[in-house]
Amino acid sequence: MKNTFTQSMAWLHTWAGLIFGWLLFAIFVTGTLAVFDKELDHWMQPEVPATEVSQADAARRAVAYLQAHEPQAGNWGISLPTERSPGLRVSTGDRRHGGGVQLDPRTGEAIEVRDSVGGNFFFRFHFTLDLPRNWGIFVVGALALVMLAALVTGIVIHKKIFKEFFTFRPNKGQRSWLDFHNASAVLLLPFHLMITYTGLVIFMLIYIPAGVDALFEGDSRAYFNAQGNARLEQPRQLARQPGQLVDVAPLLAQAEARLGPLGGLNIRNPNTAGARIEIRPELGNRIALAKGQAMVFDGVSGELLSDVPQWRAAPLTQRVMVGLHFAQFGGYPMRWLYFICGLVSCVMIASGLVLFCVKRGRKYGNGTAQASARRWYRVAEVCNVGFISGLLLACVALLWASRVLPVELAQRESWEVRTFFGVWVLALLHAGVRPARRAWVEQLLLVAVLCIGLGALGGVGDAMRVGVVLSALVMGVLLGLVAWRVGKAVPAPIRAKAGRNVEAGA
Amino acid sequence: MIQAPAWLQILSRSAAALFGGYALSYAASACLARLLPLSAADAVIVATLPAFVFYTGAILWAFASRDAVRAWAPLALAAPLALLGFWPQALGWLA
Repeated sequence: MKNTFTQSMAWLHTWAGLIFGWLLFAIFVTGTLAVFDKELDHWMQPEVPATEVSQADAARRAVAYLQAHEPQAGNWGISLPTERSPGLRVSTGDRRHGGGVQLDPRTGEAIEVRDSVGGNFFFRFHFTLDLPRNWGIFVVGALALVMLAALVTGIVIHKKIFKEFFTFRPNKGQRSWLDFHNASAVLLLPFHLMITYTGLVIFMLIYIPAGVDALFEGDSRAYFNAQGNARLEQPRQLARQPGQLVDVAPLLAQAEARLGPLGGLNIRNPNTAGARIEIRPELGNRIALAKGQAMVFDGVSGELLSDVPQWRAAPLTQRVMVGLHFAQFGGYPMRWLYFICGLVSCVMIASGLVLFCVKRGRKYGNGTAQASARRWYRVAEVCNVGFISGLLLACVALLWASRVLPVELAQRESWEVRTFFGVWVLALLHAGVRPARRAWVEQLLLVAVLCIGLGALGGVGDAMRVGVVLSALVMGVLLGLVAWRVGKAVPAPIRAKAGRNVEAGA
Repeated sequence: MIQAPAWLQILSRSAAALFGGYALSYAASACLARLLPLSAADAVIVATLPAFVFYTGAILWAFASRDAVRAWAPLALAAPLALLGFWPQALGWLA
């Protein structure tokens, strides 16, 4: 592209970073929030009581409720109360497709809970951008690849990686932004690389099905069978004869002794002679992600039909990499570590985007440059505001919408999503009509106020909800400080020494 | 030699990065899966895990190479790798 390798890489880093950085920022922010998806779920649905009921008791009550209301259903799904998710939810049909009824774990009675996309929205947006799932994972996968390329080119062009590791020159305009971008990148480089690569590994066989195509003629079912993931045959004959369901509590105890804390269970063909009870572990019992694992019991005799498989080295490697991305292990200390590392990633991306404009501000931001160059510069500036502070505004607006929208509103969940995207578009428009600095300050201040005010919406009955409100308060104060700094910052001083801009991406 | 306009070069290199990179990582994974001395189920996983390293390499290559034609080298490299990976299928088509 350019004369030297480093210059070519700097060019790639700058332009790929700018064009894809806006969406990458959205992916990293929502991913960071999704670390606490269950906690946000709980906050966004204040009707769910925070109780401490043993899983066995909760499961018995759920089964009793389903016996009374859905005795003929082909499948019962039960999500048990856990440390992070104290609700008890029952459903019929496939668990993935949502729906279901919230029960009070203390009484086993149905409770009215508002419809809300919950923190799960951030999780879904993180890997689909709210596009149809199959499109979304490819778009996000391509963006992750750009992130990986940006990280590697960043290392290449950053020659003095260790010296500058200890360098920070505050209050120097462009220099400070560059130092900040470099420091946040280098400080957590292993995390940035890990989270990006493991993100790609989650859907690697959807992205690159080459191995399955070459060795299994593209037959993914044959591949899954070869992995030993074949499902137990469903006993169709027995499923037509009535049967008496076994007590689930001893089975739960047996599964907990084997798997650790449990997440939930499925009962297939309940009340028939072919009933099967599948008990799932919580995802975070070990680093390797246990998604899709279950112990299967006979629903009449209680006999163990199929244990969780031991993973061979290769699948275990993939599971551990995926587990490192999902961050379900290690409890709350690990969750906070991921959250903070995720924040640093977001800050790195945002500071890189800002740096692009700060660097060109003197050249294109005034009347001396060509009109077309000035127009493009303005587009970058507006997008920076709209995609950074605008996205933050959209995220906090979603939290407000979950509490403020009328509970009885029809299609409440889609209104929450419309609020999210509506606020985002408004923020982009606002950035388009205001001078850049004013737009930054106004939007960041609004985000700060909305974050700080989250507690005013009430419904902080338990420690988890208080935690959400306090965390939002801290984030709000920090963002308020940023807004204040941006507001009072003087325009960047002229650099003392020119010609040192190669490593920054000329 | 006539220099293509800048936007055309960028477009060509971006396409080389996207498609050439995909072809290379696909073919390299297929080839690795075929050659690794593991059971088929394990070979698929072990061969696919490094796929994105190849992809990243191809993206960097597409923008680092001296001229816009060389940028397509990963695509050329993909052909023999794919042939190795899909050797039995290729023989089947010939027969």
